Parts: sequence; C-alpha cells; structure tokens
Amino acid sequence: MLDRDGGLLRGTLDVLILKALSWGPRHGYAVAEWINMVTDGALLVEEGPLYTALHRLERNGLLVGEWGYSDNNRRAKFYELSREGKQGLRAEVSSWERYAHAVGKALSATTPAEA
Amino acid sequence: MRRVFRIPFTRGHIAREVDDELAFHIEMRVQRLIAAGWSVDAARAEALRQFGDVANVRDDCVTMDQQRERAMSRANLFGELQQDIVFALRTLRRNAGFTAIIVGALALGIGANTAIFTLIDAVVVRTLPVSHPEQLVAIGDPSRVSSFSQGSPRIDLLSAPLFNDLRAGSRSFSGMLASGHPGRLDVRIGASGSELEHPRGRFVSANYFQLLGVSASRGRVFDGGEDQNVGGSPVATISYGYWTRRFHNDPSAIGQTIIVQDQKITIIGVAREDFAGDIVGAAPDLWLPLTMHDALFPNLRLLDDRSSSWLLALGRLAPGKTLEQARAELIPLISRSIVAHATGPSAKAFSADRHTWFISSGAKGFSRVRATFEAPLFTLMIGVALLLVIICANVANLLLARAIARGREMAVRLALGAARNRLVRQLLTESTVLAALGAGVGLLLAWWASHGLLILAADGGTIPLSLRLDYRVLLFTLALSCLAVTVFGLAPALRASRVELASSMRASASSLAGSALGHRGQRAPLGKLLIAAQVALSVVLLVGAAMLVHSLRNVQTVELGLDRDHLLIVDVDINARGYSGNRLTNLVHALQNRITSIPGVAAFTYSVNGIFSGSESGTYIQVPGFVPRQADDSSIAYDNIGPEYARGVGGRIIQGRDLTVADEARYPAGIALLNESAAKFYFPKGNAIGQFVRFSDSIAVQIVGVMADTRDHTLAGQPGRRIYFPYLNTDTALTTVGNLRLEVLTKSEPSALVQQVRKAIVAVDPSLPIDGVDPLTRLMQQSIREERLVARLATVFGVLALVLAGIGLYGVMTYAITRRTGEIGLRAALGADRIDVIRMVLFDALRLVGAGIVVGLGLALASTRLLQAQLHDVGTVDPASIAAAAVVLTVSAVIAVLIPALRASRVSPIVALRAE
Repeated sequence: MLDRDGGLLRGTLDVLILKALSWGPRHGYAVAEWINMVTDGALLVEEGPLYTALHRLERNGLLVGEWGYSDNNRRAKFYELSREGKQGLRAEVSSWERYAHAVGKALSATTPAEA
Repeated sequence: MRRVFRIPFTRGHIAREVDDELAFHIEMRVQRLIAAGWSVDAARAEALRQFGDVANVRDDCVTMDQQRERAMSRANLFGELQQDIVFALRTLRRNAGFTAIIVGALALGIGANTAIFTLIDAVVVRTLPVSHPEQLVAIGDPSRVSSFSQGSPRIDLLSAPLFNDLRAGSRSFSGMLASGHPGRLDVRIGASGSELEHPRGRFVSANYFQLLGVSASRGRVFDGGEDQNVGGSPVATISYGYWTRRFHNDPSAIGQTIIVQDQKITIIGVAREDFAGDIVGAAPDLWLPLTMHDALFPNLRLLDDRSSSWLLALGRLAPGKTLEQARAELIPLISRSIVAHATGPSAKAFSADRHTWFISSGAKGFSRVRATFEAPLFTLMIGVALLLVIICANVANLLLARAIARGREMAVRLALGAARNRLVRQLLTESTVLAALGAGVGLLLAWWASHGLLILAADGGTIPLSLRLDYRVLLFTLALSCLAVTVFGLAPALRASRVELASSMRASASSLAGSALGHRGQRAPLGKLLIAAQVALSVVLLVGAAMLVHSLRNVQTVELGLDRDHLLIVDVDINARGYSGNRLTNLVHALQNRITSIPGVAAFTYSVNGIFSGSESGTYIQVPGFVPRQADDSSIAYDNIGPEYARGVGGRIIQGRDLTVADEARYPAGIALLNESAAKFYFPKGNAIGQFVRFSDSIAVQIVGVMADTRDHTLAGQPGRRIYFPYLNTDTALTTVGNLRLEVLTKSEPSALVQQVRKAIVAVDPSLPIDGVDPLTRLMQQSIREERLVARLATVFGVLALVLAGIGLYGVMTYAITRRTGEIGLRAALGADRIDVIRMVLFDALRLVGAGIVVGLGLALASTRLLQAQLHDVGTVDPASIAAAAVVLTVSAVIAVLIPALRASRVSPIVALRAE
C-alpha cells in the first residue's frame, strides 16, 4: 500500500505521516513539527520531501486534502486519513512491530548460530 | 470546446494551490524562528534552507496532483456515462412506442445491410478456410465448377492427363491438386434395397487435403496414397455437414461401407468442420479419389482422355515464387502439352496468345455462385445502404421532433444548472443506446434474412454455402451503427443544445405570427431538409428498382424463336442405365411412340443439351474460305438433335430443310444445320446450303438447312452461333452421349401433361432415372433467377423507402399543422374555406416533395449508370422508370399529407384562437 521503492527512509516517512494524522486532520507544517518533535529532528533533514510524500499519499488515495484555516486564521491545506489510509497505518504498524522485534532479537543474540 | 480551455485552467489552479501550501509552510517556519529571536532576513534564509529544494518539490507535487486530477475526471466521466445510459434507458422505456418504432426502423436498416454484407462476405470476401490460402493459385475458369467439356482441348478446364503434365512439369508449386464434378452420384447407404440418394460429390486428387492443410475431425482424410493404384482405392472422405445431416454425427459412420455407382466404397473419415471444399457455394457431401473415376463410371473413361476437360486445379506456390512467375511458367507448359498431344490441325495451330488464360489467385477458391451473384450483390448493397440513409434521416426527424417537444425539459435542466455539453452528451447517449438496440435486433434480423436470401437465390434448389457472423460482419455492423448514430443523433443533439432559455420557457405552442414550417424561425428547416433528402433518396431507389423491373420484363418477353408456352422439356439419365448404340436407338424410338400417342402432344423431338437445361457444348469448326481473325471466331456452340427438331421446338427453318428420320437411317450421314447467326457469320453471301464444314479437325459435314436463331439457354444478350448434328449418328455425336433431353410440343398448357409423360417413360423403362419434366417457362424463369431476385429485392427496398418517406412526411406535416393551428384558425375566421386550407397545406408539402424529386432525379441519372451492366435493353436514361418513380412518389406524398391537411381544414376558429 505504501511506496516501498524509496527504501527504508521513505517508507518510514510515510508511516510517520500516517501516524501524525491518526489524531485528526493537520496541515503540512503541523505534520513536520510533530515528526521533528518525535524524532528529535533526526528524520527530516529537509522539510521539502515531506510535501512530496503528502501529495503522493494523497494521489494514492491514503490521504484526503482539503483547504481550511489554521489556528492563526490563515488559509492552509489540511490532510486527513482516508479509509485506506487508516487501514494502511494499521498494517504498517503491525509489520513495523514484527520487523523491529525480529531485528531487535537478532541484534541482542548472544551466540553465533550453528552453520 | 470546453476541454481546450480546461486543461490550462486546471494546470494553473493546481500550481497555485501547491504554491500556496508551500508558502504557508515557509511562512509558519519564519514566524517560529522570529519568535525564537532570529532576525527577519536570517529567519527567512534559515526556513528556506530547512525546506530544501523548493522548485523541485513544487514540480513533484504539481505532477502528482495532476495525475490525481486526471484519474478523478476519468472516474467522473465513467460515472456520468453510466448515469447517462441509465437515464437514457429510463427515458426510452417511458416512451416504449416511440422507442420501438425507432429501434424497429434501425434494425430494419442495419439488418438489411448486414444481411447483404454477410452474403458478400461469404461469397466474395472470405478466403478458403485452409492453411495459407494466399499461396494458392487457381488454374481454370473459377466459375466453371461443374462443367464438362469434350472435343478440342480447352484452357478454362483441364483434362486429367493435362493436369498430370502440369503437376510433373511445374517448378513454381510445392504441390498441385485437382478437383472435378462427377455429375450425379447414385448412392445407397445402409441395407440393400434402400433408396437411391444423390449426394453432392467431388473427385479430388489424393493430395487434396494434405496440400490444403485440412485435417480430419473424425477418422482420417486422404493421405496422398490413394493415387498410387488407379481404381484401387474405394474410399471416401465425407464433409462434416453431411456427417451431421445424413449420419447424425454417428461415429460408426466411419468405416461404414456405402454403395456408390453399384460399387462398395468405405467412408474413412470426416473432414474438419469448417471445411466445405474448394468450391464456394457448392459444399460437397463426399470426396472421392480422382483415380477412382473410371472404376465408378466405366461408361465415361476420363483419366486418360485428353479431349475431356473437367478439372479445376489449385497449386500452392513454392517459397519465394509469385503468381506471375507461376503464370509465366504455366502458359507455355499448357500450350506445349496441348500441341504435343493434339490430334488435328486446329490443335496443332494452338497459339497461346490468342487465348484468355485462367490463372489467378486461388485464395478464395472457385465459385459459380460468386460469378453469378457478385454484381447483383453489390447492386443490392448500394440499395440497402441508401435505405439505411433514408431510415437515419427518418429517425433523425423523429428525434428532432421529440427534441423540440423536449425543449422545455432541456430549458428547465439548463436553468437548473446542467452543463450544455452534458445535455448534448445525454442526447447522444440516447441515440447510441437506440443504435445499439437497433444493431442487436438488426443482427438477429440479418441472420434470418441472409439465410432467407440464400433460399430465394437458390430458387427452389439449394446453395450450400456457410454463412457466418464472423468478425468482419460484426465490425461492419458496428461501423454502420456508429455511422448511423452520427447521422441521426448529432442533429437533434446540437439542435437541443441551442435551446433558447427564454423562448422555450415562455411557451410551447407557437403564436399566430409564427409560421410553422418556419421560413423565419430556425425550428423546422432541418426537418424539412431531412424530408426532402428522404424523398430524393427514395427517388434514386425507386428509379433503380423500376429500371431493374423494366429490364426483367424485357428479358421475360424477349422473342425466343421457340414456342415458349407449349414446350415440355424432359431430362432422362440414359448413362445411368448404360444405353448406347442400338439399345439407345430402340429406346429413343420407343419413347417417341409412347409420347406422341398421348392426346394433346403435337410433336416430339430430342437433343443432348435440351433447352434452358444449363448445359451447353462447344467446338471449333473450319469453314472453307473463312479466315478466323481470333481464336474465338472458329468456336461455335453445338447440339445433337433428333429429326424434325425445328418443328418439335416451335422453331423455323429459313433456308434448306430440317433433319428427317431418313437422315438418321442414312448412317453415316455427315449433315448438319446451322442457325441464322452462324450462317451469316461464316457465309455472309447467304450460300450456306450445300457447303461442307469440318469439325474435330477431320470430320466434314454438309449444311442442309438454316434454322432461325433461338434463345435456348440464356435470355440475355444476342443468340450465339450454333450448329446442329443428328443425335443418333455416332460419327457426328461429339459427346459420349450422356444425356437425352426430350422436347415435347403440346397443343395446350404443357404442365397438364407432365404426369402422362412420366407414365409413358416408366412404361418404356421403369428403371430409367427421370431427372426432370418441366414446362419451358419454368426453366426459363430459373435461368433468370438472379435478375428476378435483384428486381424483387430492389422493389422491396424501393417500397420500404417510399413508406418511410411517407411516414416522415406525415409526421412533419402533422407537427407543422399543430403549430399552425392558430394561423389556420385565423384564416378560417377571416373567411378561408376548407378547400383553401387543404390547398395551402398540400402546396406547402408538395413544394418540399417536388424539390426532393428534382434532386433525386439528378442523383438517379448520375448513379443508375452503375446498374447498366445488369440491364437488358434499358438505356441509361429510362423515361418510363423515371416517370413511374415520380408518379408513385407524388401520389404517396399526397396521400401522406392529405390526412393532416383534412384535419387542418376542420380546425374551428374559436378553438384555435382560444388556444393562443
């Protein structure tokens, strides 16, 4: 459901966007702030690619974009998860957990495997 | 129009939105940084740095938004289309009667076109269902599929030895096959004593199926080995159709022994289902190995006979060879073979360049049906195409009238905000749905009609031809329907889109001032135009039909030189009972005695080919003092006849004398009659009597009489040259006498004597097969079946066109009068009487019809010359036909208009004025 061809980083960005929107509609700036906050600015080296990702997810039907007004009363584009977007987030979260668990287990292994 | 604008508009709006969005982000970041203590300029620079490559991101976003937009509009369009179709179906169902009329008319037009095209496809277009048909080369006249010719070697048919020479000598082909018509086969299937059957057979070389690449669907086909042992392969391959019809697809038919010409033949297999032989329109029931011919027909030994031409050949071009190369090789090969084996001076003088050669592409196989019906089918195609255009005009008119009636609906929808192009699309969807329904019903109609036509064309017999709705036919129908939609759907749709909001909302009926047929308003001119066009096209069809009917009458009433109303032609198969020599003489005399003693019989004679029997013979003669300029000049049709032939057929001797019984007795006699054409051609000085002519290069015969020309095999054209020899004289009997036709001249209606003549023949020899006892008039009708068929169908199309034009006219005038009710009422109030009103309405309509007729006559004059090849004694401009068409149309128009005119004349001024 998500674009995987961008490798780990892009896949990660997509999941984070979906997560950021899981609490309700936000505009791109708010999404960027949230990601910077939760990742300590480690993920978004530049903020531009976030917008590319938002529009791609919108094109692919995971997000729905709509213009509205921000807290300081300025016109801004708000994104919201579509039904597909919610399903996608659920699927991604569970696969991330499996993946993280497996990698974590492997990295904390104490003995070399039998050849 | 709209789209052109929308694309740049959309692009701009997407880019603007992306710009706004990105600007918002950067603005927010800048404010955040300023709040954190950055200077304005530093904050702006930092925000841009944090964002990265703005231009690139912007482009990516715009691209993706455009993709999204496009996908959405596609989905939208599809959704709207679905809506349109559902809506169209609902509208059409609501007006079930209207819909039925339109669908019916379209089905008629599309069905008629598809039916004719199905036949054209089957007869003219389709290639044989064999592997690589394009590699096949046909050797022989493709139309002579069941001919047999004896005498001088020919080049339109091959003899078996000539075929063998070609097969052995040609390098252009990877293989060569031959097939020939066996005449009538006598077959018994099942227990002995079962009924004789006469399935259609064909002798084929043993490599036939292999070379064509046709496999067996059951059992096996000939494997090429059947030629090895002449007369030693008593086997047959049957066609799938015969297997189904005669054996009900019973697998035990394979291996079964059947009796063919009193000999046992084993069925070895069934050919592939779609394969119907190399002859289009003459699908055989069974194929027999060519080398079995003489074993099955011991009285007619053909395998080593160079003077009997009866085979057609197909060669498969070797890789890299072309038709032209094959031709260049075959012509000298055939010429050499003919000269090498010639038996007389005329054949020795054989010269290749004096002949028309029959070497052509064999991809479509051989066909007499094609030769006969190709031109008529194309004539009919033009006719039905015109009919479809008329129907489209009619439907357009009906839809137009309804579009006008729906003007208010359209206006309301427009006022409620429907897009104009959406309305046009809605109407076009309706038209498309109508056309689709019409095409569907039309296909069913076509399926039925094409088979019906085939039965009509066969005229009592059968034309075994497989008709299929293949992809070509379906494509044709599809294209036709699209064309129809464009023609009849576009006008009303465009008309509706021009609905003026204000005027339509105001009123539906017109005012006193508004003239109905609209000299001023733009309401009706299109409808008028369509009616005039319909009338014009109907004129073309009617004139064409009238000319064909006129031509048919000419043919039917042409002077025959025979007693057309008092001749009975009897066909008996003496070959089947092996009659020859003295036995034949005795048989003929016994038949003569029996038949002449029937009360009502005036005279009796006999001949080989008979009259209108479909079989003819030809030979070459040498006339002293006559120098042929072309090969054709020496050719002459001949027949072998009995005594008192001229009297027996109701003909006339114009010089010398008829043959007599004494001539037969004076054996060998060496005498002959010429017909008038031959006498004039070879003896222009009129001195034919007493002269000697030679034929078959050696035998000389003396001319004793000249008979007036007779049309005895074809009604069309001028009678050709003909020579007659005594039937029972074996020296001059050119054919291995295979046929005996009796000509019985009666005193009254000949059909009344059919049973008595049959009884007389049975009394002489109960086992003698009687192939037919027919009055001459019936045989004549059969000989012009194409002409009759085409004339009949053209008349049907013409009448249909007439009726449609009448309906259209009626509709338009009724509508016009409804709109003029007020005006008419006013006129009545002002003192116009009923006659005035009727005259006014009639005049209005007839002006329209008159314009249509004038244009139509112009079109007819320009187009009927296409018919010329099919007309007999009818000029390009046929005043009788033109007058007939014009009168019929005018009378029909008056009738169509009279009803609305009478209705108009009864309009009461009060009612009319109150309606305002």
